[in-house]
Amino acid sequence: MINTLVKLSWVFLKIGTFSFGGGIVIIPLVENEVVVKYGWLTKTEFVDAVTLGQITPGPVIVSATFIGYKACGILGAIVSTLSVILPSFVMICLATAAIKKFRENKTLANFLRGARVAVIGMVFDAGVSIGRSSLVDIKTILIVGMSIICLFKYKVNPIWIILGAGIVGLAT
Amino acid sequence: MEQKTREQAEKLYMRGLHVFARSADTESLELVAELWQDAWESYRKIGDKSKARDLEKSLAALYKKKYLKVQETRERQGGIIRKFKDWFMFFKIGCFGFGGPMAVFSLLQDELVREKKILTDKDFLEGAVLGDVLPGPVTMDIVTYTGYKLKKWFGALISTLVFILPSFVLMIILAILYNRYSITPKVEEVFRCLGAAVTGLILSVGLKLSKTEMKDYRELCILIWAFASALIFKLDIVVIVGFAGLVGIIVYHDDTEKQQVK
Repeated sequence: MINTLVKLSWVFLKIGTFSFGGGIVIIPLVENEVVVKYGWLTKTEFVDAVTLGQITPGPVIVSATFIGYKACGILGAIVSTLSVILPSFVMICLATAAIKKFRENKTLANFLRGARVAVIGMVFDAGVSIGRSSLVDIKTILIVGMSIICLFKYKVNPIWIILGAGIVGLAT
Repeated sequence: MEQKTREQAEKLYMRGLHVFARSADTESLELVAELWQDAWESYRKIGDKSKARDLEKSLAALYKKKYLKVQETRERQGGIIRKFKDWFMFFKIGCFGFGGPMAVFSLLQDELVREKKILTDKDFLEGAVLGDVLPGPVTMDIVTYTGYKLKKWFGALISTLVFILPSFVLMIILAILYNRYSITPKVEEVFRCLGAAVTGLILSVGLKLSKTEMKDYRELCILIWAFASALIFKLDIVVIVGFAGLVGIIVYHDDTEKQQVK
Protein backbone atom coordinates (compact mmCIF):
# COMPACT_ATOMS: atom_id res chain seq x y z
CA MET A 1 0.00 0.00 0.00
CA ILE A 2 2.80 2.40 0.87
CA ASN A 3 4.29 1.44 -2.45
CA THR A 4 1.13 2.44 -4.31
CA LEU A 5 0.93 5.70 -2.38
CA VAL A 6 4.47 6.60 -3.33
CA LYS A 7 3.77 5.76 -6.96
CA LEU A 8 0.56 7.79 -6.92
CA SER A 9 2.34 10.72 -5.41
CA TRP A 10 5.15 10.52 -7.95
CA VAL A 11 2.79 10.28 -10.94
CA PHE A 12 0.70 13.21 -9.84
CA LEU A 13 3.66 15.36 -8.90
CA LYS A 14 4.89 14.80 -12.42
CA ILE A 15 1.51 15.62 -13.89
CA GLY A 16 1.18 18.69 -11.69
CA THR A 17 4.54 19.92 -12.88
CA PHE A 18 3.81 19.55 -16.59
CA SER A 19 0.21 20.59 -16.72
CA PHE A 20 0.87 23.82 -18.55
CA GLY A 21 -2.21 25.53 -19.83
CA GLY A 22 -4.59 23.90 -17.39
CA GLY A 23 -6.97 20.98 -17.25
CA ILE A 24 -7.85 19.27 -20.51
CA VAL A 25 -4.36 19.41 -21.98
CA ILE A 26 -2.99 16.88 -19.52
CA ILE A 27 -5.68 14.24 -19.94
CA PRO A 28 -3.70 12.14 -22.46
CA LEU A 29 -0.65 12.32 -20.22
CA VAL A 30 -2.65 11.12 -17.22
CA GLU A 31 -4.26 8.36 -19.23
CA ASN A 32 -0.92 7.05 -20.33
CA GLU A 33 0.38 6.87 -16.77
CA VAL A 34 -2.72 5.73 -14.94
CA VAL A 35 -4.35 3.35 -17.38
CA VAL A 36 -1.54 2.02 -19.55
CA LYS A 37 1.43 2.02 -17.22
CA TYR A 38 0.03 1.25 -13.78
CA GLY A 39 -3.43 -0.08 -14.60
CA TRP A 40 -5.13 1.57 -11.63
CA LEU A 41 -8.20 2.20 -13.76
CA THR A 42 -9.73 0.72 -16.86
CA LYS A 43 -10.24 2.90 -19.89
CA THR A 44 -13.97 3.37 -19.21
CA GLU A 45 -13.32 4.20 -15.58
CA PHE A 46 -10.82 6.79 -16.68
CA VAL A 47 -13.32 8.47 -19.01
CA ASP A 48 -15.82 8.50 -16.15
CA ALA A 49 -13.19 10.01 -13.87
CA VAL A 50 -12.70 12.89 -16.29
CA THR A 51 -16.43 13.40 -16.65
CA LEU A 52 -16.82 13.52 -12.90
CA GLY A 53 -13.94 15.94 -12.75
CA GLN A 54 -15.91 18.25 -14.95
CA ILE A 55 -18.98 17.91 -12.79
CA THR A 56 -17.26 18.99 -9.61
CA PRO A 57 -16.89 22.74 -9.22
CA GLY A 58 -13.11 22.77 -9.08
CA PRO A 59 -10.58 22.38 -11.85
CA VAL A 60 -10.65 19.18 -13.92
CA ILE A 61 -7.46 18.19 -12.17
CA VAL A 62 -9.65 17.04 -9.27
CA SER A 63 -10.03 13.86 -11.31
CA ALA A 64 -6.82 13.01 -9.50
CA THR A 65 -8.92 12.60 -6.35
CA PHE A 66 -11.05 9.99 -8.07
CA ILE A 67 -8.08 8.15 -9.51
CA GLY A 68 -6.36 8.16 -6.15
CA TYR A 69 -9.47 6.81 -4.50
CA LYS A 70 -9.76 4.01 -7.03
CA ALA A 71 -6.13 3.08 -6.60
CA CYS A 72 -5.76 3.28 -2.85
CA GLY A 73 -8.87 4.43 -0.99
CA ILE A 74 -9.32 7.68 0.91
CA LEU A 75 -5.63 7.93 1.67
CA GLY A 76 -4.81 7.60 -2.00
CA ALA A 77 -7.30 10.35 -2.79
CA ILE A 78 -5.68 12.71 -0.33
CA VAL A 79 -2.15 11.92 -1.45
CA SER A 80 -2.87 12.31 -5.14
CA THR A 81 -4.82 15.55 -4.71
CA LEU A 82 -2.09 17.13 -2.65
CA SER A 83 0.60 15.90 -5.04
CA VAL A 84 -1.12 17.31 -8.07
CA ILE A 85 -1.53 20.79 -6.62
CA LEU A 86 1.85 20.99 -4.91
CA PRO A 87 4.12 21.87 -7.89
CA SER A 88 2.05 24.76 -9.19
CA PHE A 89 1.49 25.95 -5.63
CA VAL A 90 5.19 26.25 -4.94
CA MET A 91 5.93 27.82 -8.30
CA ILE A 92 3.18 30.42 -8.00
CA CYS A 93 4.32 31.44 -4.53
CA LEU A 94 7.92 31.81 -5.65
CA ALA A 95 6.92 33.68 -8.79
CA THR A 96 4.64 36.04 -6.88
CA ALA A 97 7.41 36.81 -4.44
CA ALA A 98 9.77 37.40 -7.34
CA ILE A 99 7.38 39.55 -9.31
CA LYS A 100 7.13 41.94 -6.42
CA LYS A 101 10.87 42.39 -6.49
CA PHE A 102 11.09 42.83 -10.23
CA ARG A 103 8.13 45.19 -10.52
CA GLU A 104 10.50 48.10 -10.85
CA ASN A 105 12.21 46.48 -13.80
CA LYS A 106 10.89 48.31 -16.86
CA THR A 107 11.39 45.48 -19.32
CA LEU A 108 9.42 43.10 -17.16
CA ALA A 109 6.72 45.71 -16.58
CA ASN A 110 6.31 46.08 -20.33
CA PHE A 111 6.29 42.33 -20.78
CA LEU A 112 3.50 42.01 -18.25
CA ARG A 113 1.60 44.84 -19.87
CA GLY A 114 1.58 43.04 -23.19
CA ALA A 115 0.84 39.69 -21.60
CA ARG A 116 -2.09 41.09 -19.64
CA VAL A 117 -3.80 42.12 -22.83
CA ALA A 118 -3.17 38.69 -24.34
CA VAL A 119 -4.91 37.14 -21.33
CA ILE A 120 -8.02 39.15 -22.13
CA GLY A 121 -7.82 37.74 -25.65
CA MET A 122 -7.65 34.26 -24.11
CA VAL A 123 -10.73 35.02 -22.07
CA PHE A 124 -12.71 35.91 -25.19
CA ASP A 125 -11.38 32.80 -26.90
CA ALA A 126 -12.54 30.61 -24.03
CA GLY A 127 -15.94 32.27 -24.21
CA VAL A 128 -16.26 31.54 -27.90
CA SER A 129 -15.12 27.93 -27.66
CA ILE A 130 -17.38 27.10 -24.73
CA GLY A 131 -20.20 28.95 -26.44
CA ARG A 132 -19.74 26.97 -29.61
CA SER A 133 -20.31 23.67 -27.84
CA SER A 134 -23.12 24.79 -25.57
CA LEU A 135 -25.17 27.13 -27.76
CA VAL A 136 -27.43 24.62 -29.41
CA ASP A 137 -30.95 26.00 -29.14
CA ILE A 138 -32.91 29.15 -28.41
CA LYS A 139 -32.94 28.46 -24.68
CA THR A 140 -29.17 28.44 -24.35
CA ILE A 141 -28.81 31.52 -26.56
CA LEU A 142 -31.30 33.30 -24.31
CA ILE A 143 -29.29 32.27 -21.25
CA VAL A 144 -26.12 33.74 -22.73
CA GLY A 145 -27.82 37.00 -23.64
CA MET A 146 -29.49 37.34 -20.25
CA SER A 147 -26.37 36.56 -18.30
CA ILE A 148 -24.31 39.12 -20.23
CA ILE A 149 -26.93 41.79 -19.58
CA CYS A 150 -27.26 40.87 -15.89
CA LEU A 151 -23.52 40.81 -15.33
CA PHE A 152 -22.29 43.67 -17.42
CA LYS A 153 -25.14 46.09 -16.98
CA TYR A 154 -26.64 45.28 -13.58
CA LYS A 155 -23.59 43.73 -11.93
CA VAL A 156 -25.42 40.73 -10.49
CA ASN A 157 -23.30 38.29 -8.50
CA PRO A 158 -22.24 35.56 -10.96
CA ILE A 159 -23.05 32.84 -8.46
CA TRP A 160 -26.74 33.55 -8.99
CA ILE A 161 -26.32 33.26 -12.74
CA ILE A 162 -24.74 29.83 -12.41
CA LEU A 163 -27.35 28.65 -9.93
CA GLY A 164 -30.15 29.97 -12.12
CA ALA A 165 -28.84 28.29 -15.22
CA GLY A 166 -28.42 25.01 -13.32
CA ILE A 167 -32.04 25.19 -12.19
CA VAL A 168 -33.23 25.92 -15.73
CA GLY A 169 -31.26 22.90 -16.89
CA LEU A 170 -32.76 20.67 -14.22
CA ALA A 171 -36.28 21.90 -14.84
CA THR A 172 -36.35 21.22 -18.56
CA MET B 1 -4.29 89.00 33.81
CA GLU B 2 -1.71 88.03 31.26
CA GLN B 3 0.49 86.50 33.91
CA LYS B 4 -2.41 84.41 35.18
CA THR B 5 -3.31 83.08 31.75
CA ARG B 6 0.30 82.21 31.11
CA GLU B 7 0.52 80.28 34.35
CA GLN B 8 -2.66 78.42 33.58
CA ALA B 9 -1.43 77.51 30.12
CA GLU B 10 1.83 76.30 31.59
CA LYS B 11 -0.08 74.17 34.04
CA LEU B 12 -2.29 72.69 31.31
CA TYR B 13 0.76 71.83 29.26
CA MET B 14 2.47 70.18 32.20
CA ARG B 15 -0.60 68.16 33.05
CA GLY B 16 -0.79 66.95 29.47
CA LEU B 17 2.84 66.00 29.60
CA HIS B 18 2.25 63.98 32.80
CA VAL B 19 -0.65 62.11 31.28
CA PHE B 20 1.39 61.47 28.19
CA ALA B 21 4.29 60.11 30.21
CA ARG B 22 2.09 57.81 32.22
CA SER B 23 0.37 55.93 29.43
CA ALA B 24 0.03 56.10 25.69
CA ASP B 25 -3.30 54.43 24.90
CA THR B 26 -5.87 56.10 22.72
CA GLU B 27 -7.89 57.64 25.56
CA SER B 28 -5.03 59.35 27.31
CA LEU B 29 -3.72 60.59 23.99
CA GLU B 30 -7.09 62.19 23.48
CA LEU B 31 -6.91 63.84 26.89
CA VAL B 32 -3.43 65.17 26.23
CA ALA B 33 -4.58 66.61 22.93
CA GLU B 34 -7.42 68.41 24.67
CA LEU B 35 -5.18 69.86 27.40
CA TRP B 36 -2.56 71.05 24.95
CA GLN B 37 -5.14 72.58 22.70
CA ASP B 38 -6.44 74.64 25.64
CA ALA B 39 -2.92 75.68 26.48
CA TRP B 40 -2.28 76.66 22.88
CA GLU B 41 -5.40 78.83 22.83
CA SER B 42 -4.35 80.57 26.02
CA TYR B 43 -0.91 81.32 24.58
CA ARG B 44 -2.47 82.73 21.46
CA LYS B 45 -4.79 84.89 23.49
CA ILE B 46 -1.89 86.56 25.26
CA GLY B 47 0.05 86.77 22.04
CA ASP B 48 3.04 84.58 22.90
CA LYS B 49 3.82 83.45 19.38
CA SER B 50 6.94 81.36 19.99
CA LYS B 51 5.30 79.31 22.76
CA ALA B 52 2.21 78.81 20.60
CA ARG B 53 4.36 77.57 17.73
CA ASP B 54 6.14 75.13 20.03
CA LEU B 55 2.82 73.77 21.14
CA GLU B 56 1.62 73.47 17.57
CA LYS B 57 4.58 71.27 16.82
CA SER B 58 3.95 68.99 19.79
CA LEU B 59 0.28 68.81 18.88
CA ALA B 60 1.09 67.79 15.34
CA ALA B 61 3.36 65.02 16.60
CA LEU B 62 0.67 63.96 19.04
CA TYR B 63 -2.02 63.80 16.39
CA LYS B 64 0.19 61.69 14.20
CA LYS B 65 0.75 59.28 17.04
CA LYS B 66 -2.92 59.20 17.87
CA TYR B 67 -3.83 58.52 14.26
CA LEU B 68 -1.41 55.61 14.09
CA LYS B 69 -2.77 54.24 17.33
CA VAL B 70 -6.35 54.34 16.11
CA GLN B 71 -5.37 52.69 12.84
CA GLU B 72 -3.63 49.95 14.76
CA THR B 73 -6.52 49.14 17.09
CA ARG B 74 -8.95 49.21 14.20
CA GLU B 75 -6.84 46.73 12.32
CA ARG B 76 -6.56 44.46 15.31
CA GLN B 77 -10.31 44.46 15.85
CA GLY B 78 -11.16 43.93 12.19
CA GLY B 79 -8.43 41.39 11.59
CA ILE B 80 -10.09 38.22 12.72
CA ILE B 81 -13.42 38.83 11.07
CA ARG B 82 -11.88 39.96 7.83
CA LYS B 83 -9.54 37.03 7.70
CA PHE B 84 -12.33 34.54 8.22
CA LYS B 85 -14.43 36.13 5.54
CA ASP B 86 -11.58 36.05 3.07
CA TRP B 87 -11.04 32.36 3.51
CA PHE B 88 -14.74 31.70 3.37
CA MET B 89 -14.83 33.54 0.07
CA PHE B 90 -12.43 31.03 -1.43
CA PHE B 91 -14.60 28.25 -0.11
CA LYS B 92 -17.63 29.80 -1.76
CA ILE B 93 -15.84 30.11 -5.07
CA GLY B 94 -14.68 26.53 -4.72
CA CYS B 95 -18.31 25.50 -4.32
CA PHE B 96 -19.71 27.40 -7.27
CA GLY B 97 -17.05 27.02 -9.90
CA PHE B 98 -19.16 24.70 -12.04
CA GLY B 99 -18.53 24.89 -15.73
CA GLY B 100 -14.79 24.84 -15.98
CA PRO B 101 -11.87 27.07 -15.18
CA MET B 102 -13.12 30.17 -16.93
CA ALA B 103 -16.22 30.25 -14.76
CA VAL B 104 -14.02 30.33 -11.67
CA PHE B 105 -12.02 33.04 -13.38
CA SER B 106 -15.12 35.23 -13.62
CA LEU B 107 -16.23 34.47 -10.07
CA LEU B 108 -12.81 35.39 -8.77
CA GLN B 109 -12.69 38.61 -10.75
CA ASP B 110 -16.09 39.58 -9.40
CA GLU B 111 -15.25 38.80 -5.77
CA LEU B 112 -11.66 39.93 -5.55
CA VAL B 113 -11.66 42.99 -7.75
CA ARG B 114 -15.18 44.34 -7.75
CA GLU B 115 -16.58 43.36 -4.34
CA LYS B 116 -13.70 43.06 -1.93
CA LYS B 117 -11.23 45.24 -3.83
CA ILE B 118 -8.35 43.08 -2.63
CA LEU B 119 -6.76 43.15 -6.06
CA THR B 120 -6.88 45.61 -8.90
CA ASP B 121 -7.66 44.50 -12.44
CA LYS B 122 -3.98 44.79 -13.14
CA ASP B 123 -3.00 42.51 -10.25
CA PHE B 124 -5.66 40.05 -11.25
CA LEU B 125 -4.49 39.84 -14.83
CA GLU B 126 -0.92 39.47 -13.67
CA GLY B 127 -2.02 36.52 -11.59
CA ALA B 128 -3.64 35.14 -14.71
CA VAL B 129 -0.44 35.64 -16.67
CA LEU B 130 1.46 33.68 -14.04
CA GLY B 131 -1.23 31.03 -14.09
CA ASP B 132 -0.96 30.72 -17.85
CA VAL B 133 2.79 30.60 -17.98
CA LEU B 134 3.28 28.28 -15.02
CA PRO B 135 1.82 24.78 -14.78
CA GLY B 136 -1.40 23.95 -13.02
CA PRO B 137 -4.98 25.01 -13.62
CA VAL B 138 -5.17 28.76 -14.14
CA THR B 139 -7.92 29.24 -11.60
CA MET B 140 -6.10 27.47 -8.83
CA ASP B 141 -3.02 29.46 -9.69
CA ILE B 142 -4.96 32.69 -9.30
CA VAL B 143 -6.34 31.53 -5.96
CA THR B 144 -2.85 30.68 -4.74
CA TYR B 145 -1.56 33.98 -6.08
CA THR B 146 -4.24 35.94 -4.26
CA GLY B 147 -3.63 34.04 -1.05
CA TYR B 148 0.06 34.77 -1.30
CA LYS B 149 -0.63 38.45 -1.87
CA LEU B 150 -2.87 38.56 1.20
CA LYS B 151 -0.81 36.63 3.73
CA LYS B 152 2.33 35.20 2.12
CA TRP B 153 2.88 31.42 2.26
CA PHE B 154 0.31 30.84 4.94
CA GLY B 155 -2.35 32.67 2.97
CA ALA B 156 -1.48 30.81 -0.20
CA LEU B 157 -1.70 27.48 1.59
CA ILE B 158 -5.03 28.19 3.24
CA SER B 159 -6.67 29.70 0.17
CA THR B 160 -5.59 26.84 -2.08
CA LEU B 161 -6.72 24.13 0.34
CA VAL B 162 -9.99 25.87 1.09
CA PHE B 163 -10.60 26.34 -2.60
CA ILE B 164 -9.98 22.71 -3.46
CA LEU B 165 -11.87 21.32 -0.47
CA PRO B 166 -15.45 21.36 -1.84
CA SER B 167 -14.45 19.64 -5.06
CA PHE B 168 -12.34 17.18 -3.15
CA VAL B 169 -15.16 16.17 -0.83
CA LEU B 170 -17.68 15.97 -3.64
CA MET B 171 -15.28 13.89 -5.68
CA ILE B 172 -14.75 11.44 -2.83
CA ILE B 173 -18.49 11.06 -2.45
CA LEU B 174 -18.91 10.53 -6.19
CA ALA B 175 -16.06 8.03 -6.22
CA ILE B 176 -17.63 6.03 -3.39
CA LEU B 177 -20.99 6.04 -5.16
CA TYR B 178 -19.31 5.05 -8.39
CA ASN B 179 -17.46 2.22 -6.74
CA ARG B 180 -20.51 0.82 -5.03
CA TYR B 181 -23.26 1.29 -7.59
CA SER B 182 -21.26 2.27 -10.65
CA ILE B 183 -23.41 5.29 -11.40
CA THR B 184 -22.31 8.30 -13.31
CA PRO B 185 -24.78 11.18 -13.20
CA LYS B 186 -26.55 11.90 -16.46
CA VAL B 187 -26.53 15.63 -16.49
CA GLU B 188 -26.09 16.65 -20.09
CA GLU B 189 -28.94 19.12 -20.18
CA VAL B 190 -27.85 20.77 -16.94
CA PHE B 191 -24.39 21.04 -18.37
CA ARG B 192 -25.56 22.67 -21.55
CA CYS B 193 -27.37 25.36 -19.59
CA LEU B 194 -24.41 25.84 -17.29
CA GLY B 195 -22.20 26.09 -20.35
CA ALA B 196 -24.40 28.83 -21.75
CA ALA B 197 -24.34 30.76 -18.47
CA VAL B 198 -20.58 30.37 -18.30
CA THR B 199 -20.26 31.69 -21.84
CA GLY B 200 -22.13 34.80 -20.76
CA LEU B 201 -20.00 35.06 -17.62
CA ILE B 202 -16.78 34.82 -19.55
CA LEU B 203 -17.75 37.30 -22.22
CA SER B 204 -18.83 39.87 -19.67
CA VAL B 205 -15.59 39.47 -17.73
CA GLY B 206 -13.73 39.95 -21.00
CA LEU B 207 -15.68 43.12 -21.65
CA LYS B 208 -15.08 44.43 -18.14
CA LEU B 209 -11.36 43.76 -18.29
CA SER B 210 -10.97 45.31 -21.71
CA LYS B 211 -12.69 48.42 -20.46
CA THR B 212 -10.00 48.96 -17.82
CA GLU B 213 -7.01 47.65 -19.71
CA MET B 214 -7.57 49.07 -23.22
CA LYS B 215 -5.86 52.41 -23.53
CA ASP B 216 -5.08 52.78 -27.21
CA TYR B 217 -4.87 50.97 -30.54
CA ARG B 218 -1.80 48.94 -29.51
CA GLU B 219 -3.69 47.10 -26.82
CA LEU B 220 -6.49 46.50 -29.27
CA CYS B 221 -4.07 45.01 -31.81
CA ILE B 222 -2.52 42.64 -29.27
CA LEU B 223 -5.95 41.62 -28.05
CA ILE B 224 -7.27 40.85 -31.52
CA TRP B 225 -4.07 39.03 -32.44
CA ALA B 226 -4.16 36.91 -29.27
CA PHE B 227 -7.83 36.14 -29.75
CA ALA B 228 -7.38 35.17 -33.38
CA SER B 229 -4.31 33.04 -32.87
CA ALA B 230 -5.99 31.14 -30.05
CA LEU B 231 -9.23 30.62 -31.93
CA ILE B 232 -8.07 30.08 -35.50
CA PHE B 233 -4.49 28.90 -35.32
CA LYS B 234 -4.87 27.11 -31.98
CA LEU B 235 -1.51 28.27 -30.77
CA ASP B 236 -0.46 27.16 -27.31
CA ILE B 237 -1.45 29.55 -24.57
CA VAL B 238 2.12 29.80 -23.27
CA VAL B 239 3.30 30.83 -26.73
CA ILE B 240 0.61 33.48 -27.09
CA VAL B 241 1.09 35.03 -23.68
CA GLY B 242 4.86 34.92 -23.99
CA PHE B 243 4.85 36.44 -27.44
CA ALA B 244 2.44 39.19 -26.39
CA GLY B 245 4.82 39.96 -23.55
CA LEU B 246 7.72 40.29 -25.98
CA VAL B 247 5.64 42.55 -28.20
CA GLY B 248 4.85 44.55 -25.07
CA ILE B 249 8.56 45.03 -24.38
CA ILE B 250 9.04 46.41 -27.88
CA VAL B 251 5.99 48.62 -28.33
CA TYR B 252 5.93 50.09 -24.84
CA HIS B 253 9.64 50.56 -24.87
CA ASP B 254 9.58 54.35 -25.24
CA ASP B 255 6.62 55.31 -23.10
CA THR B 256 7.45 53.61 -19.83
CA GLU B 257 8.18 56.96 -18.22
CA LYS B 258 4.86 58.41 -19.20
CA GLN B 259 3.06 55.35 -17.94
CA GLN B 260 4.72 55.55 -14.57
CA VAL B 261 3.93 59.22 -14.13
CA LYS B 262 0.29 58.44 -14.70
